[in-house]
Amino acid sequence: MTPALNAQGIGARLGRTQVLQGLDLQIEAGRWTSIVGPNGAGKSTLLKVLAGLLAHSGVVHLQGQPMAAWPARQRAQQLAWLGQSEGAGDDLTVWDVALLGRLPHQAWLSKPSAQDYAEVERALRQTQAWDWRERTLGELSGGERQRVLLARALSVKAAVLLMDEPLVNLDPPHQADWLQIVRKLVAEGTTVVSVLHEITMALHADTVVVMAGGRICHQGPSASPACHRALEQVFDKRIAIHAVSGQWVSLACTP
Amino acid sequence: MKTLVRWLALLALLWTVGAQAAASATVVDDRGTVVSLMPVPQRIVSLLPSLTESVCALGQCAKLVGVDRYSNYPPSVRGLTPVGGGLDPSIEAIVALKPDLVLVATSSPGIERMRALGLRVVALEPKDYPSAVRVLLTLGDILGVGTAKAVVQSMELDMRAAVAQVPATARGKRVYFEVSPGPYAASASSFLGQTLERLGLQNIVAGTLGPFPKVNPELVVRAQPDVILIGDSNADAMQSRPGWDRLTALQARRVCAFNKEESDILVRPGPRMAQGAMLVARCLQPFYGAAPASTTSKAGAP
Amino acid sequence: MNQWLRQRPLALAAGLVLLSFFLMALGACVGSTGLQSVREVWSDAVSQQIVWDIRLPRSAGAWACGALLGLAGAVAQGLFRNPLADPYLLGSAAGASLGVCVALALLGASPVAAPWLLQLGTTGAAFVGATAAVLLTLTLARGVQQTLRLLLAGVVVGVVLGAASSLVLLAQPQLMQAMQGFMLGTTALVDWSACVLMLGGWSFCMVVAWTLSPVLDGLSLGENTALSLGLPVAPIRIALVLVLALATGTAVAHTGLIAFVGLAAPHLVRALVRAGHARLVLLSSLMGGALLMGADLLARSLLAPQELPVGVLTAVLGGGYLLWLMHRQNPVVVGAKP
Repeated sequence: MTPALNAQGIGARLGRTQVLQGLDLQIEAGRWTSIVGPNGAGKSTLLKVLAGLLAHSGVVHLQGQPMAAWPARQRAQQLAWLGQSEGAGDDLTVWDVALLGRLPHQAWLSKPSAQDYAEVERALRQTQAWDWRERTLGELSGGERQRVLLARALSVKAAVLLMDEPLVNLDPPHQADWLQIVRKLVAEGTTVVSVLHEITMALHADTVVVMAGGRICHQGPSASPACHRALEQVFDKRIAIHAVSGQWVSLACTP
Repeated sequence: MKTLVRWLALLALLWTVGAQAAASATVVDDRGTVVSLMPVPQRIVSLLPSLTESVCALGQCAKLVGVDRYSNYPPSVRGLTPVGGGLDPSIEAIVALKPDLVLVATSSPGIERMRALGLRVVALEPKDYPSAVRVLLTLGDILGVGTAKAVVQSMELDMRAAVAQVPATARGKRVYFEVSPGPYAASASSFLGQTLERLGLQNIVAGTLGPFPKVNPELVVRAQPDVILIGDSNADAMQSRPGWDRLTALQARRVCAFNKEESDILVRPGPRMAQGAMLVARCLQPFYGAAPASTTSKAGAP
Repeated sequence: MNQWLRQRPLALAAGLVLLSFFLMALGACVGSTGLQSVREVWSDAVSQQIVWDIRLPRSAGAWACGALLGLAGAVAQGLFRNPLADPYLLGSAAGASLGVCVALALLGASPVAAPWLLQLGTTGAAFVGATAAVLLTLTLARGVQQTLRLLLAGVVVGVVLGAASSLVLLAQPQLMQAMQGFMLGTTALVDWSACVLMLGGWSFCMVVAWTLSPVLDGLSLGENTALSLGLPVAPIRIALVLVLALATGTAVAHTGLIAFVGLAAPHLVRALVRAGHARLVLLSSLMGGALLMGADLLARSLLAPQELPVGVLTAVLGGGYLLWLMHRQNPVVVGAKP
């Protein structure tokens, strides 16, 4: 089966630093892949390269076609990206922000269609932001804001969803909600790629990609012992992965 | 003497040109626009102090209906309607006065606007002796008076009288004329510089630097002028400039400080040129003796 | 009332339009001759000229100029995601000043020498200068990819062209007073043809900015988000920068550098209503127009027959109102954080 995303020979630099070099990665379609690693490993950079947002050497294929061959609108319909908070958009209402996610589906300057409205409502209800759709972003707390931005990414209804640190500011109940949303999406056939620094959360994914120093150390099912050893290795054995109540949990080790 | 000859030759040329222009009932102003001389203006608005003074010197003061805020001579114009400044004229106020002639400087904004509103606008700007004379003669044509030449002649006589008031020992002395803090000096190519040259004085600031260059204070210290001419509001600050206490002119108190009224006279290239020259001449008398002393000069800063 | 207004940007638009008409009517009555001209307008040709050819075009011109500056301010703040952005950011102010400086110097030197220069006038020189400066900024920044580089290039161009203006003024110090008049800005010389020009420019810029405003909305969530949504950020940025140059250049060419309108108008709108960039751009125009019109009225009437510089009054009006808004207990006042 064609991988949803196929990256070959990726090299990328941020300023003067060569962050990624000679990197190959394949993301299976219809699965949830989680990229983990220590700070500065290049996870966010890799995600941006996969989303086609960063200049890089090498080639990325989306659904079997080179990224460069995708027209911008079609690519935006296929691939949605949720980044770490860049702009603020304080004056936009929650509704307006979620509606922005439908831009790839709208002809330029056309009014939103009934389907657009339906998708926006669905996304806002999923993240439990529907009740404050008239409030502006500036009035919300960090966690509430994150849920709205997530709704924006969800409303795109893309086949591939890339998320960079989506759990920032979210409290445990809402982290659990997020987990539910992702599982549902994968069950519907969406490909989800997330960069997470919460290892326990990452271990819920189907596949885990372990990165360190701009290279991929391990890629494999999240439940496999090889994966767990690789994780412990990459974090200098400061974590230990154990099974607790049927889930894999990462515990911090004090020497 | 050479200046005088040059000046008289120019005068002769201008008289013939002026006569020709009058015959053709149009005149060319300083921006090259051809302006009709008919009808003879009865209501005049002036936006430049030297033009106001020129109109009054030609005896047409009664025809002025509005002046700019800087026109203050003769005192009778102070009662006229102010219409803004030369650089920010109040178009509405000017139009409300229903003038049939508006006199402006060449750099005045709003010339096109006023012409579009149907006013007769003449741009004249005296910048030095020859142009001041030319402006007087042109104005004479525009206002339809024959007195212009007589006015110019009497100005020349007054000027010669001023030159005669300069003490013999003062001739050839080197002077420095500071126009404003900066310091900006009046060079030999400026209107003031020409006055000084006519009085037989040497300017330490050469004309090649432009009319009002911003000079390095060191230049003044090195050149050691014999006399310093300055406005009295800036005179006190001079003492504290670094190195200036070495100036012999300051030590000997050979400083001519002019008050606001006197500065106006000196600075405007208009009909009162001769008065300006006389101010300088009288100021030099206490320093270099001879000629009867007068009370209009100041001995400089304490 | 405030909560009610916040949800209804179009109500604000209607209010501003009504205010503008009212100010226009007032503008016909205010001036050095006061109401007398209005009373005599049917009988006296000069009064008619004063009201129809001087006062009305001046008010209309003030509105058009304010609308242009308000539009440019909204575009600038959306483009650079910075509430301190104003229309003069990309060196356009310095370019316009240099253009006027050079034109005045050449005119002063030999007014008969260049008839095309007389035709072009200081108006054309200001416009050419502003546009050339923005193009220079674009070239220096090598496109609009990076906001920071664009802003830096704008600062550099502004400083260098400002230095060039200073050099010209040093050579010809008699121009300093004239330049000061230009720097403070004035609506005194606006006639009907200038109004038509400015309104035409405003209509064009308005249409383009409205059309491109979805990109500004997308950009407010971040550059990468906008790109991921498939928005053609780079070419539209260039288009918006050119709209900025055109609007600013047109305004500056006719009235000089009037400060603060472009900065304050978008802020005032955002303090009153909540709107996306499409509506913000329109409302900002209307607010800028009303603001400048009001300032022009006050400039003419406060110390009649003397006139105050209109730039001083825009700062007092706009700044004063912003200060008052900031002191109220309203948490949502200032616009997007960078």
